[in-house]
Amino acid sequence: MSQSLAVTAHGLVKKFGGRRVVDGVDLAVPAGTIYGVLGPNGAGKTTTLRMLLGIIEPDEGERTLLGRDRPREASDHVGYLPEERGLYPQMKAREAIAFMGALRGLPWKIGRKRAVEMMEQAGLGYAVDFKIRKLSKGMAQLVQLLGSVVHQPDLLVLDEPFSGLDPVNQEGLERLIRAEQARGATVLFSTHVMAHAERLCDRLAIIAGGKRRFEGTVADARGMLPMRAHYQPERDGPEVAAILPADAQHNGRDWVFPVADDAVEALLLKLTQSGFGVAGLSIERPGLHDAFVRIVGAEALAQAEAEAL
Amino acid sequence: MANNIGRGLRQALTVARRDFIATVFTPTFLLFLLSPMFTILFGAAGGFGASSMAQGAADRARIVVIAAPADVATIVATDRQLRQVFGRGDIPPPLDVVTPSSDPAAQARARVSSRDGDVDAALYGPLDHPIIVYGNGGSNEADYLAGLAEQALRAQKLGSTAPLSVATKTKIVRTVVTTSGHNAAALFAVMAIFLLTLFLAGLTMGTMAEERSNKVIEVLAAAVPLESVFFGKLIGMFGVALLFVGFWGTVASQITAILPAGTAAALAGVAPAVGKPVFALLFLAYFVMSYLLIGAVYLILGAQASTQRELQLMALPMTVVQMANVGMSTAAAGKPGSTIAWIAEIFPFSSPMAMAAHAANSSALWPHAVAILWQLLWVSLVISLGARWFRRGVLKSGEGPKRKRKQPQPSSS
Repeated sequence: MSQSLAVTAHGLVKKFGGRRVVDGVDLAVPAGTIYGVLGPNGAGKTTTLRMLLGIIEPDEGERTLLGRDRPREASDHVGYLPEERGLYPQMKAREAIAFMGALRGLPWKIGRKRAVEMMEQAGLGYAVDFKIRKLSKGMAQLVQLLGSVVHQPDLLVLDEPFSGLDPVNQEGLERLIRAEQARGATVLFSTHVMAHAERLCDRLAIIAGGKRRFEGTVADARGMLPMRAHYQPERDGPEVAAILPADAQHNGRDWVFPVADDAVEALLLKLTQSGFGVAGLSIERPGLHDAFVRIVGAEALAQAEAEAL
Repeated sequence: MANNIGRGLRQALTVARRDFIATVFTPTFLLFLLSPMFTILFGAAGGFGASSMAQGAADRARIVVIAAPADVATIVATDRQLRQVFGRGDIPPPLDVVTPSSDPAAQARARVSSRDGDVDAALYGPLDHPIIVYGNGGSNEADYLAGLAEQALRAQKLGSTAPLSVATKTKIVRTVVTTSGHNAAALFAVMAIFLLTLFLAGLTMGTMAEERSNKVIEVLAAAVPLESVFFGKLIGMFGVALLFVGFWGTVASQITAILPAGTAAALAGVAPAVGKPVFALLFLAYFVMSYLLIGAVYLILGAQASTQRELQLMALPMTVVQMANVGMSTAAAGKPGSTIAWIAEIFPFSSPMAMAAHAANSSALWPHAVAILWQLLWVSLVISLGARWFRRGVLKSGEGPKRKRKQPQPSSS
């Protein structure tokens, strides 16, 4: 394995009842990066992560985790937040965090000490001795997240970490992910919320129908679509269409149409000289949302958005 | 390799520690720990109530002799002598001697049939041809009255009710334990292993179900091999078992000091054939075997169930099997060397209980070496198979590609 890759996967396949839930997924997660696995519901994200971590075995394919062929051997250096959150309701918050650290080889005493420090930093210092069942859902989720990083892992795997969090906690989680990266950890997380991936990810993979449809940077994904111009003429009318590309759409007072990267200058010249005037003009690179739609299809995105609600 | 074993052991102990603390450091554990005492107390209370009711009825009961005045003194004196041979619980009801009316037969029937008389039996007629009438449950009293008439007649013929001989009685303190004492120890061993195993295996199964319902299992499965979770749970509950056995072992070892002398002496007669120190070791060994065998099976069942209802349904057949095991082992305790004892000693799931009974009934030690090896073989077999089924049940995954899955459980994404 290359020293610079924290996680690799080649041709991972997992079948359930004859259906290929994950169908030949390849991944290469560079060490020290924040890497997103994006995909709609049922895409195979969780199953892929579970195979990478060794929770379940792939039916076909190979994977390495922190340079080891057997993921279990690296488990002490990995932190994991599963999609289905789970803590012992009778445990105190501090003990729950220390317990999760102890499972990964962190001595209890250090785990308890760090748990208190981390909860204080997160503004939950008052709740260190609260039992989990007394905490709100968001607080319990935060406790579990702290438990997944208490042993300062080299690789942090988060399955849908933003789900169930309010906007304030989502922002806090983004800060924590960046802090983990700054500490030197690799962060691998799955999500179907494009905004988080767009803000956080150095690289990402898009999975749909069990297959990897895209791998690269956010810019690479956005670059798959041409830039989009929103033009508002001073004097509008059907005749404006004559100076615009054939696929331009009239949307209210705006004309919306794609623009190739090398055609921006020519477009500006054409619009200023057209005689219709320029009341407004914006040329934007499409967001990850649009790239995702293009890659997985509009139907899959609708499904993903419904899931996010 | 050694590193992996060390890590696996450390992870198993982490799980065990959590389970031990979660079980022991709760108020409900006190109830569990003291449950045998509650059983004894409730049993004693029930026994006392039943005894009080029986005593109340006995206090009101009477037997009646309708006799001519000339016979009264002899009958009363004979009755006094005869009562001395009865133990406290077997002594006949007090005797009323009444003068005959013009119709003694009707008089006797009236006394026995009386609604509030509580007369169990009545005798009338001459002592050489007495007639006895008795009511429901008065058969023994009727026999007593027949004997009383016989002895009274003998006394009349001898002309005295004074004893004809004076016996010299010497109490001998028995130093050897009887077969009954061994059997009692055997029965105790069987029941103790059965109840302990059942309680603890049930607890283990409960913790498994708890983790599935709390979704903690995936956190564990991601950090720790499921085999370590499996062993951790067995070890955790074994720690609880040791605490339980230690507590009640200490109580049992000191119990004779606080019991009444008679009861303590009776308990002293309950002893195993192999001797108490060896028996304690063998009991512990067989308890461990039984716990590992039964605990592993319950743990596998717990891993398959996704709801409490499923859990109860799955536990029921195993509980029935355990009842059969304890039935065989109890029979083995009462009839050592019998066919049923052999079967119970060989069948893996009843073997620990039956062999503990064997240790109480027979002083031979070599069968225990064979039995422990046999049970170890089964323990390793059940645990290795159990760990695999546990993994499949917990995550509904890990099945080889050649086998068909009955209930596919894909992940949610």
